Amino acid sequence: MKHLKPLNEKAHLIDKASRQGEVDEVVAMQTVAGCTATTDPGWEVDMFGGVAGLCQPMEADLYGCADPCWWPAQVPDVMVTYPDWAGEAPSAGKDWRKLDAVFPEDDS
Amino acid sequence: MLNIGRLARVSALLALLGTGQAFAATDTPATSSPQEIIAASCSGCHARDGEGRWFRISDQRKTPEGWQMTLVRMQITHKAQFIDPAGGDGDAALRTLVKYFADTQGLAPQERAPYSFILEQELNTIEEHDSEQFRSMCARCHTGARVLLQRRTEDEWRNLVHFHLGQFPTAEYQMMGRDRDWLGEALRDVVPDLAKKYPLQTDAWTQWQAAPKPALAGRWRVLGYMPGRGDFSGVMVTGAQDGDRYTVVFNGQFADGEALSGSGSAIVYTGYEWRGTLKIGDESYRQVMAASADGAELTGRMFQRDHDEWGLRMRAVRETPRSELLAVQPGFIAAGGESLLTLVGINLDGAADLGPGLKVLEEVSRSAGQILLRVAADDTAAVGVRAIRVGKSDLPDAITVYKGMDRLQVEPAFAVGRVGGDGGSQPVVQAIFDAIAWSNGADGEAGTQDDLRIGRVAANWSVAPWNEQATADQDVRFAGQMDKDDGVFTPAGAGPNPERKYQTNNAGNLKVIASVDRDGQTIQGDGHLIVTVQRWNNPPIR
Repeated sequence: MKHLKPLNEKAHLIDKASRQGEVDEVVAMQTVAGCTATTDPGWEVDMFGGVAGLCQPMEADLYGCADPCWWPAQVPDVMVTYPDWAGEAPSAGKDWRKLDAVFPEDDS
Repeated sequence: MLNIGRLARVSALLALLGTGQAFAATDTPATSSPQEIIAASCSGCHARDGEGRWFRISDQRKTPEGWQMTLVRMQITHKAQFIDPAGGDGDAALRTLVKYFADTQGLAPQERAPYSFILEQELNTIEEHDSEQFRSMCARCHTGARVLLQRRTEDEWRNLVHFHLGQFPTAEYQMMGRDRDWLGEALRDVVPDLAKKYPLQTDAWTQWQAAPKPALAGRWRVLGYMPGRGDFSGVMVTGAQDGDRYTVVFNGQFADGEALSGSGSAIVYTGYEWRGTLKIGDESYRQVMAASADGAELTGRMFQRDHDEWGLRMRAVRETPRSELLAVQPGFIAAGGESLLTLVGINLDGAADLGPGLKVLEEVSRSAGQILLRVAADDTAAVGVRAIRVGKSDLPDAITVYKGMDRLQVEPAFAVGRVGGDGGSQPVVQAIFDAIAWSNGADGEAGTQDDLRIGRVAANWSVAPWNEQATADQDVRFAGQMDKDDGVFTPAGAGPNPERKYQTNNAGNLKVIASVDRDGQTIQGDGHLIVTVQRWNNPPIR
């Protein structure tokens, strides 16, 4: 962070955390089974163990997550595995209700 | 151009398969043999060698859910079609393959046991892995259990790494990928390590393959505990059908008398992997259990199909002519107090001996499976965990006698709830908490060896901001509602919220507080609740 200057609130938080050495204290999978906290910043939990660092709202960057396959265990990756997942929902902010789960449901 | 119609059709077809958490046992298998189906469906890519081994397929072992996920992935990603050469439908062909692979290339009971939680959908489990490298390389995106419920040759572990990089190229440039030579480390370190610890051939699997497999028809005494509801007891009757299938009739009740009863069917994979599908009232339930090698017990969890956060941790003990005391509910009594205790067992016969200081005031009711007693504990009754005897059957560690309820522990200590609903496809995921009372024991100090875990008690529940950020973001206001009596947190609706800063979701970082008033004093415990966003990829092994 030596050559970077934080400009907004989140950047200040990251800067502060790294200065205090908090970043190293974050333990991978400190969260519960199947959640990710570690892939910039994490799907369920941010790298500080909270939710304030998640995309706000998630829908604002949902396809920025799905298109490049960023959280394939949580969000269907459109790049390789589920190219059609969001086809009927061009705007995540408006159309998120049209998004379905990808693993087949069991109706019984 | 995106082909939504195609994906929708695949999903619709798969919805008919009875895939998902468990296979419906009423679904019949294909007419053709598994080998014939593999030859017709898989051999285009997976050639058979001179020894009858299928390329790649024969070099892996997995749970039924693991095989199900693999076959579904073949269908979705590679457009595999499962064909019954005898003319049966493709759904039955897929079911036949899962059964065949799980039976012939499954996991031994002891190989599966450490990771049962993920099959049972205990999703608030916090995993612990000794290897920082394994956490970073594998368990940063999905559970470690997803990996460790597989056995492969070294070549197949290597292929799995290459598959990840091809299918999910971000593995290399995500955090914990870009700070290292991810591929080099994976191939150089992780693959040999996994091959050594989790090889295809193991003594455990060889022995399990040779072992006789238990028949699981019979009458079972069921004991259980459902977080958010408490103790449970019941009876399950299973009837054998062809192909390791069973009928299931399930009858039971919680300690407050509310019934949980229904019926359905089950199928057994690998000789011990019990997967049940039951209808209880309007709800569909799944049973994911493991049979003991002698067929005397089934242990696991029965959970709602649509809300797997609601589940009964259960143990079913086969009824035999033997008299056996299995549990006392609730498993605690205060010295100097009175309590109604239910003794649960099989063929209970004879007087109940609760030991010195515990006196039976009244035998309220008695049957072969259950004795209800009104019991008084002397002020001077020895504090601690003690055995109880009914007739000739002893149950060690049956009940805790305590003096003073000193503190509360919230369980789980850390939980995730998810926003949902509001017209979206993913339902709200509730977070369910219990208040567990503890006594500090004779030394009066918390955290020492003589502390006594008492058990689940009623409490008043509330939530508070976890930190300053949660206060500033008004997480308590937006994230959902805590039921003040039940400890059940229901997250708010999904989607951007125009009332929140940046229109953000109703996520929240909350402290969960349980409190109990005792003798004019309040004791309190707290836990941590993350309310987060929905996920759209929910396979049976996450």
